[in-house]
This record gives sequence, C-alpha cells and structure tokens, in this order.
Amino acid sequence: MLRLKLKCTSFIVAVSMIGSSAIADGHSANYGPFPITLQSYSGEKNNSVSYTGQIARHVLHDSLKVLAGQGNGGENSIALEKEMLSYFSGSEKNKAIIAPGSKGEFVVKQTTLNEISSGKNIEGKFYNGSMMAWPGSMKGREVALQMIKKASIANKGVDAENGYNWPQLISKFTMGAMAYSQAVDNYLDEKLDAGTKPNNKPYKDGAPYTGKEHSWDEGFGYFGAAAHTLSLTADQAYGVAKRKDMASADANGDGVVDLKSEMIFGPAYYAAAFDRSGSKTTKYLHTIMQAYVDGRKVITSANGAILSDGERQMLKNHASTIESNWEMVLAEAVFKYAGSVYKDIVKMQEDGADQAKAYNAYVKHWGELKGFSMAIQSGRNNLGETADTMNDLILFGPVTLDNSYVTGVSSDGSFKRDRRMTWNDYQFNMLKVQKLMTDKFDIASLVNNKLGDIEALAGKLGIAESAETD
Amino acid sequence: MELFNQIISILADFTDPRKRVFIGYLFLSLFIAFVWLVVFKRTNTKIALIKIFDKKIFFSKSAQADYKIFIINRVISLFISPLLLTQIAIATGIYLLLHQQGYIQSGYFSSTSTSIVVLLFTLFMFFIDDFSKYLVHRWMHKFHFLWAIHKVHHSAETLTPLTVYRVHPLEGILYTLRSAVSQGLAISIFIFLFGSSVDLYTIVGVNVLVFIFHITGSNLRHSHISISYWSWLEYILISPAQHQLHHSIAKEHHDKNYGAALAVWDWIFGSLYLSDDTKDLKFGLKQSEASSTNLIDIYIRPFLDIKKIILKIFRVN
Repeated sequence: MLRLKLKCTSFIVAVSMIGSSAIADGHSANYGPFPITLQSYSGEKNNSVSYTGQIARHVLHDSLKVLAGQGNGGENSIALEKEMLSYFSGSEKNKAIIAPGSKGEFVVKQTTLNEISSGKNIEGKFYNGSMMAWPGSMKGREVALQMIKKASIANKGVDAENGYNWPQLISKFTMGAMAYSQAVDNYLDEKLDAGTKPNNKPYKDGAPYTGKEHSWDEGFGYFGAAAHTLSLTADQAYGVAKRKDMASADANGDGVVDLKSEMIFGPAYYAAAFDRSGSKTTKYLHTIMQAYVDGRKVITSANGAILSDGERQMLKNHASTIESNWEMVLAEAVFKYAGSVYKDIVKMQEDGADQAKAYNAYVKHWGELKGFSMAIQSGRNNLGETADTMNDLILFGPVTLDNSYVTGVSSDGSFKRDRRMTWNDYQFNMLKVQKLMTDKFDIASLVNNKLGDIEALAGKLGIAESAETD
Repeated sequence: MELFNQIISILADFTDPRKRVFIGYLFLSLFIAFVWLVVFKRTNTKIALIKIFDKKIFFSKSAQADYKIFIINRVISLFISPLLLTQIAIATGIYLLLHQQGYIQSGYFSSTSTSIVVLLFTLFMFFIDDFSKYLVHRWMHKFHFLWAIHKVHHSAETLTPLTVYRVHPLEGILYTLRSAVSQGLAISIFIFLFGSSVDLYTIVGVNVLVFIFHITGSNLRHSHISISYWSWLEYILISPAQHQLHHSIAKEHHDKNYGAALAVWDWIFGSLYLSDDTKDLKFGLKQSEASSTNLIDIYIRPFLDIKKIILKIFRVN
C-alpha cells in the first residue's frame, strides 16, 4: 500500500514538473501560447501572443493573387480592379476569403477575413522605396497599383505580348514588399530599439501584451509559419501549404485548419520548399522558426520588465538569423527561377513543342523570377551593385517571341519594347543570375542549378587515368 | 594509424577499378598473357608461367626504380590540388562562351532520346580522351623541352605494368591538364547541345569503352609479353606489341605508335608501325641521355635539360 502511494506521489510530482517546465519555457516547440507578463494587465486573457493582423494580410495576398488571374481581356476590368483594390488597399470588413479555401479533406476554419482580423489591408504595409527593377522609376506601392491595373485588363492575368504574368508578379513582389520588408525592416529592426515599444508597457492601451512581445509576434506573423512548425518536417510544411496534409496541419485535432495558427503561408512555404528540394542540405524553415521561438522566450522571460541591453542584443541576434536566412530563401528563389527560365527557353525551341504552352510556362516562371528579384530588393539592406547587376541581367521584361523586350514605359502608360536580344544571350544572362546569387548569398539548396549539371558530370567522370602515361 | 592510412592511400590505385593497375585488370592481363603463350604460341604451361613471372624482368634494377617512382609520385600527387576544380572551371568557361555564339541555340538537340545522348557522350568522351592522349604524347616526343620530361618514361629498360607510373611529376601535371581540357570540352559541348540528360555508360564507375580497354589487357602494353593483333586490327587498335615497339631503341621504331587505345590516329597522321615479332626489342635510353635507375638523375635531369634548352634559345636570339 505504501509502495503504491509512493508510486502515485512520484507520478504526480513528475507530471507537475513536466507541466510547470512547459509553462515556464512557453511550450518550447510551438510559437505560443506564451503567458501574460504585462504587470499592469488585469484582464481575463492568459495568452499574450497575437499576430492575426499579419495572418489576415497573408490571406489578402492569397486572395489578391487569385483575383489577378480572373481578367477576361478587358470586359470585366473595371469591376475586377475595384475588387482587387478592395483586397490591396481597402479596409472594409467581412470580405470573403478567396484563398486559401477548403480543399477536399483539408477544411479551413474561416471563410471571411473578419473571422481572422478586421479592417486590414496590404497597401499600408507595402514597401514604398524606389523600385528600380521595374520600368517607370516608380516607388513600391505605385508599382503594385500599376500591376493590379494591368492585371485587370489582361486575359487570365497574362500579358503575352510583353511577357508578363501578373498574378505571379504581384504575389512574389508582395511576399517581399509586404511580408519580408515589414518583418526585417520594421518589427525586427527599429521596434527592437530601447526607446520604442518598451516591454514594461502595453503595446497599445488595454492590450494584454507588452510592446516588445507584440512587436516580435507581428514580426513572426509576417513569416507565415504555423505555430507548430518546429514539429513539422519540410515535406509536411509543404503539404500543409499545398492543402494536401490535413493531419500535419490540424495541430489541435479539432477537424479544421485554423488559418490563425495552423496554416503555412508564402514565405514559410518557400523556406520549406527549398529545404525539401535541391541539395537538401538547408534548414531555412526550422532555423528561422527556432529563432522566432527563441526570441519570444527571451522577451517572455523578462516577465514584463524593460529589456536589458543584453536581452535586446540576444533579440537582435535572433532577428539577424531570421533576416539572413529569409534573404537566402529569396535568393534561392531567384536562383531557381533563373534556371527555370533557362530551361523554358530550351523547351520553346524543341521540335514539336506546344509553342503557346511552352511560352506560357516561360512567362509564368519569368514572373516568379522577377517578382522574387523585386522582393529581395524590398528588405532592410540596400543590395547596391548586386541589385543593379541582377536588374540588368533579368531586364524589365523577358525576351519575347520576336526577341524584343520591355525597356520602359511610354507616356500613355503602355510598355515600350525597343530592343532585342537573342535567346542564347538571355540564357547566358540567366546563368549569370545564378552565379550572382551563389557569389553574393550563401545559398546551398540550388534548385535548377544549370552549372550544377557540369559539376555533376565532371564528378562522375572523375580524374581516372589522368596521371597514367604511355 | 595516420601512417597506415597514408600507405593505404598510396596503394589505393590497385583497388580502384578506374585505374589501369586495378588488381582485377592485372589478373586478367596475367590470364590473357598465359592464354596467348599456351594457346597461340604453343608454349609449355610451366615455361609460360616462368616467362610471365620472369624474375629478370620484375626484379631488374629498372623495374625496381619503377616501383620507387610509383611510391614517390603517389606521395607527390597527394600535394597537388584536386584536378576536379580545373575540369569544372574549363567546362564552365567553355559552356558560358558557347552562349555567346550565334550559330546554334543552347539545347538544340535536347529532344534527342536519353539513350542516344548517353551513347553519343560515351563514344565522344572516349574518342576525345584517346585523341588528346595521342596528341600530347606526340608533342612529348616532338618538342625538346617536353621530351626532356617524357624521357623519364622511356628510360625504362624493362617494362612492367607499373612502368605506366614511371613519369616525371611535370608530365603527371601535363596529363592531368590534358584530361581536364578534353573532359571540359566534352562536358560543356554536350550539356550545351543536349541539356541535362547527358550521362555516361559506365561499368564499375568507368567509361564502358575504357573498361573494355582495361579488361582486354591494357596492362600488357608495358610488359615483356609481346601480344600482337591481326594486321588489319592493328590499324584500329594499338596492340601491346605495337606499344612495346614504341619503347624500342631501334631507329626505325622511333616516333611511332603514339596511340593509347586507338591506332587510327597513328594511321591518319602517319606514325603507325605494325608489330613485327621477328625482332627482339631493346628498351631504354643511352646513359648520356637518361638514367634508368638513378632516382636523383630521374627527377632532377629534366629540370636541368629544360634549363639548357631555354639558355640555348636565348643564346641563339
């Protein structure tokens, strides 16, 4: 009897120790829930994590991308532009979630944006520095608005004549100009300063979270990762983003995917995509996610006091890890799509190839290449000469079927194509883009590595017999 | 342990099927030599075995020098930076250059079926590699400063399979570059024209044609077993006897049979000499030209000779 009592007591102690350690470190594997640390808070809430505004913006982005492909060549342009702008710039409540929606067994919990966060838009959080990668010497927001206008008059989002795929351009540019830019150039940058959003005060009056807690959470929200990402493999995260892996998405087992905490959106999706393909040697998703979780723990452990210089330095180190890895993910994307464009040019020349289909794929991949190249230029770092070189190589538009490419914008707002380039030369440019990415960024996944074919074959041939002489 | 690993790495060529002296190829060469002597030359089995394992050959002072040179060169090669980088750099350079010409589009033949591409690449790689060997070997004999290096190989007075390694380290570097250039050319041209489906038919990691070259007695080229082919075949493939003739000191054999596997290059460029089993061949060089056994002379003399050649050129000018 005594032995049984002892066993029961040990079990209870063990369980309570495990439980208390989980609360103390804020459920180590997940991004939240984290306890309330704000000393002045007297409300009912017991979780200080909140980044629903950022999730709403990912949903706005996903929905905008779908709308950008719904033009019918002009007839519906006015209504479509208005609709797109309501997602990009508007703030009216109760907009429908166009994407991501439910798909088969993958059931999404929310159907309206209001269920996530109301009154949000993209434009207010859009990079507004100069965007020299795009014709017309415009600022970031102007470029996005021009793209939306052009998408509304295009047929299924494609301007074949100039080689533009608007859904891809808008989507990839936004992933940088909104998500990456806001995270690395705002929430994980100046908002970590001592005098900004202090940790001993609420982020805003009445909020259950401190200034630093919420700044960090918002920075996390822009990455678009599910709270339980550290328990997912890159393949699983990829499956969640593609709405194919319900089991991995539904962390709380309630039978629906909560977009607020269980979904993987664009930036995190691409981090996972590069970890699971190419060389498979990278760990972008988990490195970034772990830095977010560890950074949040630093803030939580301050327990509502002003962060010391040491603690802020730790946060900045985590922020630096996030920024450099996120930048590498964007560089990997530029690298990958430069390789795709190269391959698409080969396919277009093949005998018996479906020209229209091959050209469409080429324009789509170029849109992704260009969009990501603009995304990487929307961060905190001025990429300087690297950006100039990248823009010169990728050009304002792809080489089109008559070998002309966009060189600027006419006074009537249409694109000018007054120069030509051979396919070989443009492929050469793509190789140089890949080389530029590997030279300037420490990337390793290298999907679609065109020069990698040479390395692989050289490796296979080896150096057999080289020293043998007759 | 470190020393043990070093010794293992020095002997690694015997266990690497990509190398001519791979133990399996050596055994096959012994078998071929035995069959040749017993079946074709009607030699008594015991006498055939005594001839194959002739002590006078394998323990000659020249052969002993071969063995020492093999080990010294292996140690030296550990310090030479990996060739692979050179190969990739050359291939990449040519590949990029190909994009700047306007005659043919990258991936022009990319719809060719993979099996045809692999077959073409396997053949092309073998031919370009063999031709570059012929060319560089010819230059080694024709240019004085290259001959100063190459004569180390020809100073062998007896031939054993390890004579293939009896080369001055400078020649090793030249052959390494040759390999890099030929492979770089083949890789870049094929990937440019055919895309990423380019591959090689291999057996045990080696080009299938090179594998055939090895299992049919490539080691007998440097041996005392004078296997000749039918005359017509000696126009196409270099027989062991033809290569032994290349090492002969007889004047009529000088500057003949530079080819490695194929005889066609010698045939085309007028340096072919068919085997002749009526003559006993003598190998080596005059002592005044190169020592067959003195290692210091073997390693140093090429530098001194090159210096003499350079000084002579400057004096003339």
